[in-house]
Amino acid sequence: MFGAATFHAAMAEVVVGSMMLATLCAMGCAIATIFPNIAGGILSSDRVMVTMDKASIAGALLGLMFMPIAALSGSFAADNVVNNALLYNKFVYTGLAFGFWASFVIGRVRLGPGVWQHRSLSALQGATAAMAMLMTTMASSIGGKLVRGESLFDIMPIWLPSDSATVLNPIFSAVLLLVGIAALVVVFRLGPRAERIPLD
Amino acid sequence: MRPRVTVLTIIALLLATGASMANPGGEGDADRDYTCGGSCHGDPALSSPSDGTVTVSVNPLAFSGTATAVHVTASGMSLSGNRLLGVFLLGSANGNDDHPEDHGWNILQDPNGGTRNYVEVVVPPSGSVTLTWVMLAPVQPGIQTLLTEIHHGSSPNSNNWAYSALTRGYVVDVQPVPENLPGFAFDWSPETRVTGDDSPTVIRTRNTTSVSVQWMLEDEWVPHNAEVTGEDDEWHAMLPATIGDIRIQYQVTTSNGDFSIVQPWLTVATEPAAFDGEIWGARIQALAFGLLIIAFLLSLQARLSPWEGHHELDHSEEVEATESPPEEPPGLEPADDYWSRMVPSEENPGWLWDPVEEEWVADPNNPPEGGV
Repeated sequence: MFGAATFHAAMAEVVVGSMMLATLCAMGCAIATIFPNIAGGILSSDRVMVTMDKASIAGALLGLMFMPIAALSGSFAADNVVNNALLYNKFVYTGLAFGFWASFVIGRVRLGPGVWQHRSLSALQGATAAMAMLMTTMASSIGGKLVRGESLFDIMPIWLPSDSATVLNPIFSAVLLLVGIAALVVVFRLGPRAERIPLD
Repeated sequence: MRPRVTVLTIIALLLATGASMANPGGEGDADRDYTCGGSCHGDPALSSPSDGTVTVSVNPLAFSGTATAVHVTASGMSLSGNRLLGVFLLGSANGNDDHPEDHGWNILQDPNGGTRNYVEVVVPPSGSVTLTWVMLAPVQPGIQTLLTEIHHGSSPNSNNWAYSALTRGYVVDVQPVPENLPGFAFDWSPETRVTGDDSPTVIRTRNTTSVSVQWMLEDEWVPHNAEVTGEDDEWHAMLPATIGDIRIQYQVTTSNGDFSIVQPWLTVATEPAAFDGEIWGARIQALAFGLLIIAFLLSLQARLSPWEGHHELDHSEEVEATESPPEEPPGLEPADDYWSRMVPSEENPGWLWDPVEEEWVADPNNPPEGGV
């Protein structure tokens, strides 16, 4: 047997690794769409684009599948107790990462691979992947801070707030949750339907 | 050229992993044996002698069960980037049962306000730090030995070594306590207060009929008298609240008419206020944020997508195609019937009388004068 902390570390590595692949490929697709002639046009060639597109969606899907497992095992590793701002922020950043990654995957599935032929949509997908990766690395770096007292973000210029937490009243959070569910219903049922973009 | 760059990049990344160290942020205060019982840096291949100087100041005479202070000063050592120093207070250096409590001592307060024998501190830029443990001497009289050990890193530290130093043993002669000597109760230890809490500090004593307390801020020179109330060996001292990084020290004098004992300086141990978040709140808040992000981004995707279809609930075209044109409302009869009912008037040339609506209407075939 092994502890929840060990299992959490393994799951977190799977999530971060596969999502790093997804991010790199998604940003590669976005850059190739916006700047078609970059790197001598190799990046925007059909073969490379198809490969990066498939790698990004596969990586994001794998990460999304393992994210709940990583979150739950992390919760058990902390004995299901949130006793400091760092741990609370780890949950919040995990939720944000889940939102960005789910949006990335849903967008890609609904709009199809043709999403990379549309400049603004391509930029949106690339930015979504970048934000998702930032949230994912923040969540995992907080884990490093908690366990080892340091993280890679210590030497990087970007460090989002994590030492202090904005703790919402659980009732207000529940209301926000209902608003979120209602917003999703509106988007899926009442909003304009996003159709698969035909490939040229 | 490109494969060579790729290979060099991979090698650089692999070498970069070797620059990392295990737990460079420290292990935290704990109860530990000498070199943590030989784990980690106990291996000579993973450690090296420290270049620092460690001195220990302790009264060589102590009465059993009374409070005594052990001052440890470390200076001149190389440090890692985070300037972290680990200091052990030990009763022996065997690798097991080295905790002073294994030798009868009772730690009242460690330098960080806890009751541990291993503490970690950040060394100030001066390169010297003094740490004080306040302990109750063993109840059994006899000769006791106290040692200290330090652990620290270095920058650069290519071998990932821990640098350590062990002092010689400092002998303390524990004498039987004189009868009726006033002091702290054996089971009392300074309480930890929450930041901002100014509730009275409880002090429990033995053989004591009166207590006086003086306090001062760290680095202050002149102490202030604290108001003390209580009786029967339980006293309440009014000490100011600690806020932020401010540390307050206080010294208790226990008296009973025969003796008056000035106890070692103690520190008001403070901890941050309890975090008011709880796990289900964090989970719900995280999920709410996630769903809101999804809704926002999906809306943005739909807005940006080149969609040319129609909304599934908009059936206007189908309705318009199936329905026949609406009938004219009654009263709007064909124009011929309308004009045939008009009655010309000789008195008003150019005007026709409508007997149904009972109004004058301009004759289109003979417009009134001035008309078009």
